[in-house]
Amino acid sequence: MTLTQSQKRGFFGACMLAAILIAIGVVTTFFASNYQLRLVYSAFVNLIVVLGLQVFMGNSRLTNLSHSAFMGIGAYAAAICVTPVAMKQIALPDAPWGLNAFALDPVTSAIIALIVTGIVSLAVGVFIVRMTGTGATIASLAVLVIVHSIFLYRTDIFKGNQAFFGIPQVFSLTSIVILAVVVVFIVRGFRESPWGVMLRASADDETGAAAMGVNVRRLRLIAWVLSGLILATAGIAYAYFLGTISARPFYFNHVFLTLAMLIFGGMRTVTGAVLGTFAISFGLEIVRWLETGPKVIGINLPELLGLSGIMLGLVIVLTMALRPVGVMGDREIEEVFSKR
Amino acid sequence: MLDIRDLHVFHGPIEAVHGISLSVGAGQCVALLGPNGAGKTSTISAICGVAQSSGTIALEGADLSKASVEDRVRSGIAVSPEGRRIFSNLSVEANLRIGAGVRPDRENVARDIANWFETFPILGERRTQPGGTLSGGEQQMLAIARALMSRPKILLLDEPSLGLAPRIVAQVFQMIDRLRSEGMTILLVEQNARQALKISDYGYLLNNGRIQAEGTPADLGGSKDMMAKLTGLG
Repeated sequence: MTLTQSQKRGFFGACMLAAILIAIGVVTTFFASNYQLRLVYSAFVNLIVVLGLQVFMGNSRLTNLSHSAFMGIGAYAAAICVTPVAMKQIALPDAPWGLNAFALDPVTSAIIALIVTGIVSLAVGVFIVRMTGTGATIASLAVLVIVHSIFLYRTDIFKGNQAFFGIPQVFSLTSIVILAVVVVFIVRGFRESPWGVMLRASADDETGAAAMGVNVRRLRLIAWVLSGLILATAGIAYAYFLGTISARPFYFNHVFLTLAMLIFGGMRTVTGAVLGTFAISFGLEIVRWLETGPKVIGINLPELLGLSGIMLGLVIVLTMALRPVGVMGDREIEEVFSKR
Repeated sequence: MLDIRDLHVFHGPIEAVHGISLSVGAGQCVALLGPNGAGKTSTISAICGVAQSSGTIALEGADLSKASVEDRVRSGIAVSPEGRRIFSNLSVEANLRIGAGVRPDRENVARDIANWFETFPILGERRTQPGGTLSGGEQQMLAIARALMSRPKILLLDEPSLGLAPRIVAQVFQMIDRLRSEGMTILLVEQNARQALKISDYGYLLNNGRIQAEGTPADLGGSKDMMAKLTGLG
């Protein structure tokens, strides 16, 4: 099988993004404090989430708001499988179906978590892909609320808002950097694949693409399930690093944080997803520092709690108003550096 | 090649075409003429499978009226739709690739694309540019090339001259004439009746969803009254 011109360029672009990610990882490993390392790790988790979001939203141009729920499904499924029996007896004494009576190794657990999330996203996706525009968005919002409610109120399995603890911390910064690089190649590969190109055509003109024989629903479903699997990967990486999870991180705040990242960077490109994630992650740390009311060149700034939420909202509103396609627009990284 | 019997086309509760029959022989160029709202585009949409219809649509004897859009493209029906519908954010090359989406022989697709770039050097020069940046005439050429990428048995052309400058219209008709002389079977929908009849073997006049007249270009061109009434051209 020979690669097309745009696939060759896509491979080159993915290599450039991978180099940037590896550079960030190396710098962090050698120069960052423990606290900063955790921040960079969570930025990488969010990067995988944003890439998962890009696969579906960027190619089909339907807005998805349920992504954090799928991350949660992956995280909980892996956590339930991998946590040692002794721990689960304490954490989940009333768990049904013998969920607290077994424990698997991290790799098997991750595979099971991917399969479970894949099945759930397939079941949900069958309905989502039949809708267009706002309908799909509202339905995805409903999915988020439903999944969150289950996490919150089935406390015998998920512990709700309390911490689900005792998950083996098997991941390091190195593992997440490798994972993120792999996901970058998958996402860019999908974008340039015949499926990705046809899906983007349907986003330009659904009827026109249908008349060419493009099966729009099937392509959307493929992108949706791939997106679900990538989101599950992010959830697993999150759980395997922190060792504890709870329902809250997989809800609205996280949905809007990652959505702001994708919108700011530009949802149509993989480069936009990477740029948006790191720009917002870094910017948010500065805002969080300002929130605490620090002393800057001799002036005591007031405490501004909630500033980070306001800034995120502003980023979304200003991007939508001034540059709806995001910073990158339709350009991938290799196109920025090539002649234009 | 294409035989349509008693075709009714519906847009929701509204019936736009009331039982028309027409046929296109292999290697023929057949014109479907008529004023705005006559049901020409509805007929094309029904043949492609993107509009609801009843009646039979047979390609080489096989009834496709219940087949999916994908299967119709696979069986050999390709369309250059009204308004061209170029995928404006995708590159020229990607647009051509979409046309070949249902083809199993991936390795020949690249060669076909290269051939089109030879035929239309302007498309080759702009292969990486978004389709939306092309001029109207270039987009029409791209739309026809894209349809032919599926290597169809019959090509449906819906108003290829719409909104183009007269000089460009002449080029588009030249191109259609050349395709016909190369043996392509064509169903040509046009408001520009005179130009269309010049390159057609047979014509149908459609009005208010019914066929009002049919015949060879000489027959149709001869009845000046009918032409004037239906197309506004003397």
